[in-house]
This record gives sequence, structure tokens and C-alpha cells, in this order.
Amino acid sequence: MISRFFDRLEEGLIALLLATMTLLTFVQVVLRYVFNSGLSWALEATSYMFGWLIFIGIAYGVKVGSHIGVDVVVKRFGPTGQRIIGLLAVVLALLYAGLMFYGGYIYVDKMHILGVEAEDIPIPRWILLLIVPVGMAAMFIRVLQSGWAILRGDAAGLKLADEAGDMIEQFRATEEAPEQKR
Amino acid sequence: MTTAFLFVALFVFLFMGMPIAISLGLASVLTILFFAHDSLASLTLKLFDTSFQYTLLSIPFFILSGTLLTTGGVARRLIRFANTCVGHLPGGLAIASVMACMFFAAISGSSPATVVAIGSIVIAGMVQHGYPKGFAAGVIANAGTLGILIPPSIVMVVYSAATSVSLGRLFLAGIVPGAILGLMLMGAVYWRARQLGIPRRPRASMREVLVAGADSIWGLLLIVLIMGGIYSGAFTPTEAAAVSVIYALIVALLIYRDMGPLKGVPWREPGEGIDHATLRAFKQVPATFVTGSFHRDTFRVLVDAGKITVMLMFIISNAFLFAHVLTTERIPQEIAELILRNDLEPWMFLVVVNILLLIAGNFMEPSAIMLIMAPILFPIAVRLGIDPIHLGVIFVVNMEIGMITPPVGLNLFVTSGITGEPLTWVVRHALPWTVILLVFLLLVTYVPILSTWLPDMMFGPEIVNLRK
Repeated sequence: MISRFFDRLEEGLIALLLATMTLLTFVQVVLRYVFNSGLSWALEATSYMFGWLIFIGIAYGVKVGSHIGVDVVVKRFGPTGQRIIGLLAVVLALLYAGLMFYGGYIYVDKMHILGVEAEDIPIPRWILLLIVPVGMAAMFIRVLQSGWAILRGDAAGLKLADEAGDMIEQFRATEEAPEQKR
Repeated sequence: MTTAFLFVALFVFLFMGMPIAISLGLASVLTILFFAHDSLASLTLKLFDTSFQYTLLSIPFFILSGTLLTTGGVARRLIRFANTCVGHLPGGLAIASVMACMFFAAISGSSPATVVAIGSIVIAGMVQHGYPKGFAAGVIANAGTLGILIPPSIVMVVYSAATSVSLGRLFLAGIVPGAILGLMLMGAVYWRARQLGIPRRPRASMREVLVAGADSIWGLLLIVLIMGGIYSGAFTPTEAAAVSVIYALIVALLIYRDMGPLKGVPWREPGEGIDHATLRAFKQVPATFVTGSFHRDTFRVLVDAGKITVMLMFIISNAFLFAHVLTTERIPQEIAELILRNDLEPWMFLVVVNILLLIAGNFMEPSAIMLIMAPILFPIAVRLGIDPIHLGVIFVVNMEIGMITPPVGLNLFVTSGITGEPLTWVVRHALPWTVILLVFLLLVTYVPILSTWLPDMMFGPEIVNLRK
């Protein structure tokens, strides 16, 4: 139930941010040509949204296994070997997320004390950067969950993307027989 | 020592099956923590700041417009048009498939996506008409690599971000080489098809050519919009990418109706009077523009494109960290001095570049290679008098070859997926065609005018900008 909610929330935010970035950039072009004006904050806002999109997406990507990697070498090991390497990879990924969380936290804290605002948007910078530690904490949790799956024997390692399979599946979905409508 | 640690850590992490992005990032962070004095906070900020690179902002937009138009409907229209143009030649279906790949490359910035869209449809068709399956699969796996050479190209966006070479120029630079590679593949198909004695098909009438052309023109106009907009100065490449998303949405929802509320609703029902159909269109089209934007198909496309964007951008931002470590360790400068001191001729340097990139292309994701290798090779190339645009095209062609060579060539995997044959089978049938790509690489490497002629003619001679 809660995990379903997070699924919808993450996907909803990703779609919303991407759509808003596109529209904002498009509107800028329209404003420039049709009304000979522009929004001074649009570019900065779009860039922050891009950052948010990425940092929200990282943890989501760990969960659904959309990050790509090379598994030709690991596949040569037996099941036990694969699990040991998998657990080691989990520990290293946790280290990464932990370090980045800590770095992000220090920076946000510093910005909070300084109280600086973003250049064109009247929002304190620390709020805009909050997604860095939050995103990394979310990634940490998702990696922990993968580690738990390996320990339980449900997975052999970190879930990597089957990029080829996903692409084919996406394409085939567009080929489904359309429902008859009027 | 530091450099050794950096690279050893990277490869150990990679081969442990860790995601490429994390491998790059962790290797860089550990190197800095152990050997340098950058603060962790500044590194983390660097990761976030990637999203502030204006050129990279075009990546999500190009992915989104590509995803909107990577549908069976669009692929079928392009294939039909190509078939009416060249289908009557010996090996016509295969030649038309190469042409369809070229068309599709002008809509999508991704090579494997080109293979999936065109290959899913044409391979079965060719087999039905008496082509050996391996022949069909091999041609498509190779022709699909055109996806990143013919603009728009995501790999080119990354090169431009890494070297601050103009993206508009680079896009233009891909067009002539892309056409040449297409023609070379078509020529080889022609020759091989005559050898195999594949039966010819009747020539399409002029009327059929025109009808198919008019039907596929909406997809092909995307590239005209992008290149025309950038060339005329109407948009920056990033804006052009955003405009192309809106255009692609209109085409997908309202014109082709491959997705959204009007999916399966024809412009004109059989037996419906033209007046009635026009009236219906006036009612349906504006309404659909609103409902379609909130339709679940549109949501799905946004999430899919978002997922790919994040995966790619996570790699790119960590590769920037990696490149940052390389520069603070003065690796590019040292390699540059080594090469310049030994009086390496430009042509010899280009041999080295190609070998390095071909090897790297076998292990890494193209964007990551671009970001790691460009800071090293770019300054040397400039000092040796090699045109940065020319170097960019060399990079891209090497990445193309990386996509059809094992072990990580993504085009091989998707070809295996759509044909249902094992990977080894695909490799065996794709490899002979790859020889053509290698010949093409030599051609592009040593005939720089192929890459520089079009951008220089359109934009005037280029001013080299050595930022770093």
C-alpha cells in the first residue's frame, strides 16, 4: 500500500517535472517571438527542475533497475560467488550514497546558515538543494533493500537494466491493437 | 599512483556489476578523498551542477521527442516510403531498410532505438520475401548505428558539452558522413543481393511514391524543424529540442494518432463524406489536444523518457566528476606533452585516437567515454591543428562501431531480442557488415572535409575556442 503510493508519487513527479521543463522552455520561445518578451526566471527554474528530476530519479532507478552496468564478468561466477560480489557491490553503493548524502548535507547546512537566495527565483538556495541529501538518502534506502533481497536469496546482485529488453518492450507496447472508439 | 588508483578502482567496480554511474562516481570520490583536498561538499555540488549545463538540458527533450515518435506507426510509414523509392532495385527491401534507418535516425537520437523500430518490422518482412534471416539482421544491426551520426544525436550533445564545440555545427557535420555511410551500406547490400540472386520486386508508381512520401513527411519534418531552427538562429539547440517535443506530441496525438484518445480513430471513416469528416475533425482535434496531454499514454511516455534521462544524466554527471579528477591530476596535460614532445604527426595521433576509442567502446557507455576521453584528446588535437568538429565526428563513428561489437554492443542485444536468435548468431551475421563501418571510419578520419564542409559552408569558418 505504502510502496504503491511511493511508486505513483515518484512516477508522477518525474512526469510532472519533465513536462514542466519542456513547457517552460517552449513558452520562452513563444514569448520571445510572439510577445517579444521573456521570463527571467525560466532558465534557472528549468535547470533546478532538471536537477530535481535527476535526484528523484536516481533512487527510483535503483528500485526499478534502470541503471545500466556491465555484468559479463560477474555472470562467470557460481551462485555463491555472485551473491558475495553482489553484497560487496551493495556495500560500495551504500558508501557512495552515504558520502554524497553527507557532502550534500554539509552544503545545504552551509547555505542554510548563509541564507542565500537563488539568482532569479526568490527561494532560499538551501531549499532548492535539499533534494541532493534527500535523493541520496532515498538511494541509500533503495540499495539497502536490494542488499536485503540478496541476503534473502531473491536476487543475485544489484538490479541492472535490461536496456535492450526494455526498449523492445516499449516499442511493442505502441503496436498493441487499438481499442475501437468513436 | 593516483591515476592508477582511479582507473583500477573504476574497472574493479565496473566488473563487479555495479552501475556505470556509481562506478565512475565512487572511483572519483575515493581518489579525491585519499589523494587530494577537495571537500566532499564541493564534489556533491558538482554532481548537482551538471543540470545547469545549458547544452545538456537538450538531452531530456531529445529523448522525449524520440520516445513520442518511436512507434510502430511512424516506423511503418517511413519504411513504406523507403520501399516505394528503392524497393524495385536488386535487394530492394534491404536497401529500403537502410534508407528507413537513415530516416528514423533523423527522428531519434539513439542507435538501438533505431534498430528496434525499423528492425522489428523489416526483418520479418525480408525473410518473407526470401532474404536469409542473418542477412536481414546483420544489415539492420549495422544500419541502426546511423542513429547517433545523423542528427539529432545524444552522443553529439555530450561531446559538445564536454568540449564546448558548437552543437549546431556538430549536428550539421553529421549529415554528409551519415549519408555516405548509408550509401556505402546500400551499395554493399546491392552487391550481396545480386550475388544471392534475390528476386526483384515491381517498381512503385509515381503516385504511390508521392502518397507514401506525404504520409511520412510529418515525421521527417522534425529534423527540418530542428536543423532549420538552429541554422536560422531562431532557436538554440536546447530550445529546438523543446519545440520538437511539442511538435512530436502534435504529430503523435493528432496527426498519426498512434497514441492517446484518438488512437484507432481514422481521419475519415470508410464511406464517410468529406464534409462530415472535416466537421468531426474540427470537433475532435482541439478537444484531443487537451485530453491527450493528460492521457495515460502521454504519462507513460513521460515516465519512460524520464527514466532514460535519469539513467543517462546520472552517468554523465559522475563522468564529469571523473573528468574533474583527471584534470586536477594534470593527466591531459601530461599526455599532451608526451605526444607533442615525440613529434607525433597528426595522422599518427588519429590512429592512436581511433584505437583508444575502439577499445573503450567495447566496455563503456558512449556518453561516459566522450566525457572521459574528450578532455584528454581534445586539447592535443587542437594543438596538432585537427578541427574539433572533425574530431567530434571521429568520436561518434567510433562509438557507432562500439555499439555493434561484443561484449557490450547494445545494437547486438536489441537485434538478438527482436529476432529471437542468440547473441553469437547476431555477432556472426553483423560482423561482415562492420567491415564497411571500419572502412568508413578510415574515410572519415583522413578526409576531414567530409565532416567540416557543410558546417563551414552554412556557418562560415569556425573559431577554435580553447576553454580549458
